[in-house]
Amino acid sequence: MTETATVPLREFFAEAGAGRLTGIRCRACGNLTIPPKEFCDACGGRDWERVPLSGQGTIASYTVIRVAPASHAGEAPYAVAVVRLREGVSLFGRVVDVPLETLAIGLPVRFRPLSIRGRTALGFGPA
Amino acid sequence: MRRVAVIGVGVTKFGKHERTSGELFAEAARDALLDAGLPPRAVQALYYGNVVGGETERQLHAGPQAASILGIPTVPTTRFETACASSHAAFRHAVMEIAAGVSDVVLVGGAERVLNVPTAESTEYFAFASDASWEQTVGLTFPGVFALVARAHMAKYGTTEEQMAHVAVKNHRHGVLNPKAQFQKEITLEQVLASPYVADPLKLYDCCPFTDGGAAVVLASEEVARKARPRPIWVLASAAASDYMLLHDKKDLARVPATERAAAAAYRQAGLGPEDVDVIELHDCFTIAEIVATEGLGFFEPGTGGVAAEKGWTALGGKKPVNPSGGLKAKGHPIGATGAAQVAEIVTQLRGEAGARQVEGARVGLTHTLGGNTATVLVSLFGRD
Repeated sequence: MTETATVPLREFFAEAGAGRLTGIRCRACGNLTIPPKEFCDACGGRDWERVPLSGQGTIASYTVIRVAPASHAGEAPYAVAVVRLREGVSLFGRVVDVPLETLAIGLPVRFRPLSIRGRTALGFGPA
Repeated sequence: MRRVAVIGVGVTKFGKHERTSGELFAEAARDALLDAGLPPRAVQALYYGNVVGGETERQLHAGPQAASILGIPTVPTTRFETACASSHAAFRHAVMEIAAGVSDVVLVGGAERVLNVPTAESTEYFAFASDASWEQTVGLTFPGVFALVARAHMAKYGTTEEQMAHVAVKNHRHGVLNPKAQFQKEITLEQVLASPYVADPLKLYDCCPFTDGGAAVVLASEEVARKARPRPIWVLASAAASDYMLLHDKKDLARVPATERAAAAAYRQAGLGPEDVDVIELHDCFTIAEIVATEGLGFFEPGTGGVAAEKGWTALGGKKPVNPSGGLKAKGHPIGATGAAQVAEIVTQLRGEAGARQVEGARVGLTHTLGGNTATVLVSLFGRD
């Protein structure tokens, strides 16, 4: 039997930069997760199915960073959040175009790709 | 497995120093050896914690450097890096080396120097312990990680910013009693609540400081310990656990599963439970971290750590005294040294030598150290004869 390998980081972010999010689902147990992972952490399987993710979800937790690291100097204040996607997996990203005072757990948001300091990063804007 | 004892402890003053991390460690290790009454030649191995030396001091291979400054250049030396839990990871491995019969005397410690660089730079280096592809690119900081934990805890359990502030006030009150602490001044609830946000809902006074410092402890087999000191402090357990490193993989941000797993393993090793612990040094890098840790270690039910802080149950004189040293919050947090410094405090407490901050009659102590995005946790238990 030939297993389908995980999605490499480089490929995930190339796709994400074009607006497409890719999850991986274990064909043995159905566990949906964020790549890259070699073995399924639920069952130990290693046959993965690629699953497009909608990018739609709600904020699970958030904060406003007011003291930034040197490589993000000048960007603060900025909001970051863990977003629970409709499919049940979470992603972490920068929240943009949402007034900071309206941020709340449960707020619906939608994925959008960002380029921060020349690197592809995950962003979430209004749903 | 053989019994292992701590027979010597040493800690530098925490704060800003104009000395290298190697020098800071060597000072602490000198004091630990003098405390143990052992000559340097008795040491058979050094397990060393240092985290951002590569960045702040342009110094890798810090283990043999520190050993050379101390004057034990030929012993096998290994540097551990598990972010802020580094010297506790070093401690656990040293315990195993002695328990396994490989060595009779092992020196454990760590040191860190960060106040020689600006805050934005140290913030950046600490963030290197989050994921480079997913998290650093977005601008995550360590206060940011625990702010996410705090928000989740507040939403799930109703924990308040005021309850978190009580942790800061309490640990500063304890720090006043510790001459080695970086901050030896009390703060008020109002000061904490009025301090500026660093990462909402965490404010400046919810955060531990950047700190330079070193700490060391001498571990020995039972045979050596019985001869070397009148009162060895026994290592009853030393356990480690990990968890998903990435925020996006964590199942519940309001809890730290690695703490729960490491605690369960440590209690099992020692044959003890949370009710047996008299004094605790735990990882309060942020006030919310202390609240979540007191729950994960089994002292309070999940969601009630904030109430415990508010009611004073974790203060000196309370039913579960937490961080009599002042904790990371007031004593300071030289990250590579923190795990060893916590052991030093618990040993001092169990010897009954903690002076004004002594927990009277303490027989069993616990140390808890957390590394990175809540992905590494170590828990150790200590007892006296």
